[in-house]
Amino acid sequence: MTLSRRFTPYLYVAPLIGLLAFVFGYSILRMLEFSFKMVRGIDGPWIGLRNYELVLGQALFWESVGHNLLLLLAIPVMVVIALLISLLLYERLRGWKLVRTLVFVPYILAIPIVAVVMKQMFQFSGPVNEALRWLSLDFMALDWIGSGDVALWTVMLLIIWRESALGIILFLSRLLSLDEALVEAARLDGAKWWQRAWYVLIPQMRGVIEFYVVISVITMLSAVFAYIYIMGGGRGGPGTSTMVVELYIYNALVRTSLPGIAAAVSVMLFAVSLVLIWLLFALRRRAEDERA
Amino acid sequence: MTRNLITAPGFGRRRFLQGSAATLGGATMGSLLGPLRANAQTPELTMWWWGEQELPGLQAYVDESIAAYTDATVTSMLQDTAVVISQFQTAAAAGNPPDIQYLWNGIYHMESVWFGYLKALNGLMSEDTLRASNPTILSNFGGNTYRLGWYPLPMVWYYNKDLFEKAGLDPEAPPATWADLLAACDKLKSAGIEPLGGGIQDGYWSEWYMSHAFVQTLDTVGEAVELFIGDKDFRDPRYHEHWVRLEELRTLGYLNVDMPSLELYPGIDLVVAGKLAMGQSVGSRLPADSTATNGRIGSMVMPVFGKGKLAGKPIVDMQGLGIAEGAKDPAAAAAFLEFLNTPDRLDAFHRTTGWIPSSSRFSSEKIENASVRDMWKAWGESPNITNITNLMPGQFYEQAAIPTGQQVVAGDLTGEQAGDLAARVAQEWREFNPDLVEKYQQWVVDLSK
Repeated sequence: MTLSRRFTPYLYVAPLIGLLAFVFGYSILRMLEFSFKMVRGIDGPWIGLRNYELVLGQALFWESVGHNLLLLLAIPVMVVIALLISLLLYERLRGWKLVRTLVFVPYILAIPIVAVVMKQMFQFSGPVNEALRWLSLDFMALDWIGSGDVALWTVMLLIIWRESALGIILFLSRLLSLDEALVEAARLDGAKWWQRAWYVLIPQMRGVIEFYVVISVITMLSAVFAYIYIMGGGRGGPGTSTMVVELYIYNALVRTSLPGIAAAVSVMLFAVSLVLIWLLFALRRRAEDERA
Repeated sequence: MTRNLITAPGFGRRRFLQGSAATLGGATMGSLLGPLRANAQTPELTMWWWGEQELPGLQAYVDESIAAYTDATVTSMLQDTAVVISQFQTAAAAGNPPDIQYLWNGIYHMESVWFGYLKALNGLMSEDTLRASNPTILSNFGGNTYRLGWYPLPMVWYYNKDLFEKAGLDPEAPPATWADLLAACDKLKSAGIEPLGGGIQDGYWSEWYMSHAFVQTLDTVGEAVELFIGDKDFRDPRYHEHWVRLEELRTLGYLNVDMPSLELYPGIDLVVAGKLAMGQSVGSRLPADSTATNGRIGSMVMPVFGKGKLAGKPIVDMQGLGIAEGAKDPAAAAAFLEFLNTPDRLDAFHRTTGWIPSSSRFSSEKIENASVRDMWKAWGESPNITNITNLMPGQFYEQAAIPTGQQVVAGDLTGEQAGDLAARVAQEWREFNPDLVEKYQQWVVDLSK
């Protein structure tokens, strides 16, 4: 391969890279710069690594990180729910197309809308607890959004409900693209539903499951702001029980006038996201190789 | 039918070019001279403001006042709640601020003072107007005043007179001391009525509780600042007593059970709806709530437990206006603010918003709603104090003031633990903001007067 041919693809993508650099490059560089400054207003003096030192030494930051990590527990649940429903839909039971549409509805609805509705439902005197009391299940009528012990799990419930919809659609589209001859052969050999699912279908879905898991990890670490903001009363509450890293950044920037601190945490979150995105691409490449 | 002017007899290319040049020149001169002439005759002012969100009718008042003002052309812009401070600070840093800026009280505008974005109003406006507007002590720094009061927000406790009657309590004599409060709560609870509370899920109830309760332990407003800058300590029982009292109310079962999961305003609605006997509110709600209940909502000062000199005094917060340091014509801006404080404009404020303008030149006799009039006589026309939470550093507000109240109400924290948390957050604030600590140390001089 000549040198010019090796560089040709890069020339093709150069305009797009230039555009991205123009749009995001400045803000990323500025964020990096701010993370080393004590910013007041729109600029401030250089303070080296002091912002990072302050953040890493603060209990609230680690509590926020802990909550993000706790949200990762939702991912296996989401994968199982999405797998089960997509496999059932794949059986093409009567009305499956309608059900397919319905299960995707939560994902189409804007997060603030579903979160506001959920928040109303989960109030201490809200419909969920009223229903539980009506069923004589008073012991289950918890203070879903008012108790620091329960609130994050309630948010997790909402996230599972909404984000599973994406998994269902991804998994189902993968299932519908599979060669049905294998499933038919298994059926003729007397394989039961769960055996066909476990030994024939799921192994062929490995790539899409990995993709969904990585996307979900990124979501849990850096894209749950809207859920938390609404359900946690705009403050990651009650107390700090639903505080996550994104809200920590938002508070530092908007509410406590600490852009330098917000920038330092953003840089760290950005670095973690980059690693995850690299992992995502690596997995996709491997999935493509397997298909090939 | 069109006519080709260029080729028309007597209108050659040279004439056309000459004509075009003359027209262009005339237009250019006109566009240059226009503003110059306007500037020479009527100054142009910009005013960024907020408040329609909490006081419907304010937009109409601003529009009407601008239309009635002939000494300057004023262009106004209603700001979004989320950007009131940042939009102004960014514009000021870029050297292009509005002439007049809406300013919340205390630290919410004092930061802009410290950045050098606001002009001192004393000397620019008449002392009479400034003093009459009650900008509050939180607008002072370095001996100067940086805000003009625009409209007040009395901080009140609501109580439902019907529920008081039902429980055998005197609806015209709400509890004044802590012992009275506990006795009243006991009677209400025995009558099957939820005595006290509201909604704390969004955190604002915590803030208001500090406004009413924390202040009772202080002798001066500056004493609160001493707690933030480290001269005093929240672990001292005196300075977390208000959280201990809140814990006591929770332990005795006097707070409404759904308080942790309700937001502030639905919580206030419980009092208005006759489902809760007492709760925190703000005076600007009173006209509507009083009308809705045929005057059965009463206003009271939080019953006293504290021994500080500020205990038991009505609290009046104040929204305000200021002039940017980079204002193009500060004198014209000051003149417009003076205009807003003329008797005619103060009456217009009350007429269009139904609320009270912040000026002692406005007579409370003009307030038609009896509940509002009585409340204003007790709050606005009696010795009152400012809202202490307005001088809390943002970091303390977010990480201590709000969470502690929520956690105490939920039973996750004792009052003493709340004091520990507050002391820790105050310490963190000092580490995160060494420059602001210096400013607060200077500010305490003004606040301790």
